[in-house]
Amino acid sequence: MSELNAALEHPTYNYKVVRQFAIMTVVWGIVGMLVGVLIAAQLAWPALNFDLPWTSFGRLRPLHTNAVIFAFGGSALFATSYYVVQRTTQARLISDKLAAFTFWGWQAVVVAAAVTLPLGLTSSKEYAELEWPIDILIAVVWVSYAVVFFGTIVKRKVSHIYVANWFFGGFIVTVAVLHIINSAAMPVDMTKSYSAYAGTVDAMVQWWYGHNAVGFFLTAGFLGMMYYFVPKQAERPVYSYRLSIVHFWALVAVYIWAGPHHLHYTALPDWAQSLGMVMSIILLAPSWGGMINGMMTLSGAWHKLRTDPILRFMVVSLSFYGMSTFEGPMMSIKTVNALSHYTDWTIGHVHSGALGWVAMISIGCIYHLIPVLFGKNRMYSVELINVHFWMSTIGTVMYIASMWVNGILQGLMWRAYNEDGTLTYTFVESVVASHPGYLVRLAGGTIFFAGMLVMAYNVYMTTRKDVAEPALPAGAAQGSHA
Amino acid sequence: MIQHTLGLLVKPDTQWRSVAALPTRSLNILVLYPCVLALLPAVAWYFGTSRVGWTVGDGTAIRLTADSALQLCILFYFAMVGCVVAVGYFIHWMAGTYGATTTFARGIVVAGLTVTPLFVFGLAGFYPLLWVDMLLGVVAVSWSVYLLYLGIPIMMNIPEERGFLFSTAVVGVALVILVSLMVSTVILWDLGAGPAFTDV
Repeated sequence: MSELNAALEHPTYNYKVVRQFAIMTVVWGIVGMLVGVLIAAQLAWPALNFDLPWTSFGRLRPLHTNAVIFAFGGSALFATSYYVVQRTTQARLISDKLAAFTFWGWQAVVVAAAVTLPLGLTSSKEYAELEWPIDILIAVVWVSYAVVFFGTIVKRKVSHIYVANWFFGGFIVTVAVLHIINSAAMPVDMTKSYSAYAGTVDAMVQWWYGHNAVGFFLTAGFLGMMYYFVPKQAERPVYSYRLSIVHFWALVAVYIWAGPHHLHYTALPDWAQSLGMVMSIILLAPSWGGMINGMMTLSGAWHKLRTDPILRFMVVSLSFYGMSTFEGPMMSIKTVNALSHYTDWTIGHVHSGALGWVAMISIGCIYHLIPVLFGKNRMYSVELINVHFWMSTIGTVMYIASMWVNGILQGLMWRAYNEDGTLTYTFVESVVASHPGYLVRLAGGTIFFAGMLVMAYNVYMTTRKDVAEPALPAGAAQGSHA
Repeated sequence: MIQHTLGLLVKPDTQWRSVAALPTRSLNILVLYPCVLALLPAVAWYFGTSRVGWTVGDGTAIRLTADSALQLCILFYFAMVGCVVAVGYFIHWMAGTYGATTTFARGIVVAGLTVTPLFVFGLAGFYPLLWVDMLLGVVAVSWSVYLLYLGIPIMMNIPEERGFLFSTAVVGVALVILVSLMVSTVILWDLGAGPAFTDV
């Protein structure tokens, strides 16, 4: 690789590892979303389980979540954090070898997940399904990541530590703590272990981890991206730097307490559930502070929208961030949760965050990064970015809308009763009623997935050395010259 | 008012321009537009849920009692009007950020005219068939969103790119209001405003 790309090497910064992670973001995005499309189709047409254990929904679903969260989202986070920390500290990563280890180590984790999960090897903890040998590898890779990241900050050439690095740093430290504590287990053999915790405590530790996987892995890290790439792409400073600092401390202080809302009306003590609900509602304030900060930064760059579809990805991702961080606190209210829990509303909520916020902001950042990393002025086709933008938006909206309808429908059908006190519907009737929603969801997911293929083509054509670079129309810079 | 409804459905661009050109007094009267049009879905769903009913799978028709349907449809009407007014307020509130000057009334008019397709397609409630209603709903929502992106730059007299940002912010607000509506429905339901079904 190094000889082939020698011409691309930056004199100061280590772009190689950023390039590797950026490309793998696209690859894993396609793989993870393809599995997502398959399991969405399985819910609409169960025959697609093929009556094989390896292709059954129960095994493929964790494969989908691990692939999109840790492989796609994780690669995007590694790529952007390595890029941002170098650019904002004006220092090269502390060790190229250790950075390369985090890349190959992380890919090994993903491949190990793709092998073990379909085989049915699982710890049964949601979003932490991987068995203990892989968990140890994750811990080693993650600690190396922390060393590279914080080591680079230590040897920085500018005294101020830009706010994006605070978000990335907070995410790296917290995920290390969460992963190590939640995955503590007693091994039986190489492929089987038992959690170190028992009963309700185990459930609480799991959802303390689970919700903060959302809060730190899928939120704080991506806010780090937002605070670097949104001002960069808009070519104007953050609307309020003071607000961004308040945003950081408020977010990390509150998020960590919200986990119990996943365990409403369970064996968890009632006070813990109520505390989780209250903290979840308070969380709305910092979330919206950040959303408004991003929106106001972008709103001054409106004149660039005509030529820059990357900005559109960022605008829409912030809209979805605002919506889903409002929806979350609402769903954590016990009365609402009594209806919404175990229905498709939850799945819709997760995807308004995952597709609308996480994937859209990542895609925007990758479109910003690819030309910079491969020494081009801009992406091969701006028109295709625009096509991708509309596919992503329409796909996400179809996904969310269908799950909202299904969720409310299921919640209401399950609790509807006749005047004589008998249930109005049987459970299977609610499944039948959900079928049209599953079809719309499948269509939305497929459109979003197809958008990723458009992106892959665009990225491939941009990285090719033998394809002439398109001429740069006046005023059409992507900010990649910076 | 009818001409606005038809106009927005048939030749939306011209219609928005003629509304934008209205003198303030005539424009303000259009605040009543959503109040009138919201009657269409409310009446349709009252009739549909209490008289026609719906089936799930191959079961018998499920209907609400007339009292229950009346109560729900009155709530439904006020929810619709309330949402339009809320969106209208936020359009007015955010206008400054996007370089437009408006009034609260103008905000409500923009919001009300934008959701014309939803009001009209709400007539589907006369015959509640889940997949048909869902299909029509998707069409109506897409159409309304299109009307919003088309109408905001015209009504607010701002460049299209700025209008794109403004419209996206309005969609964000609308989604938040929609979620609030879902949540308050659930809470009201829990407090006893749930439907009563006829005994089969």
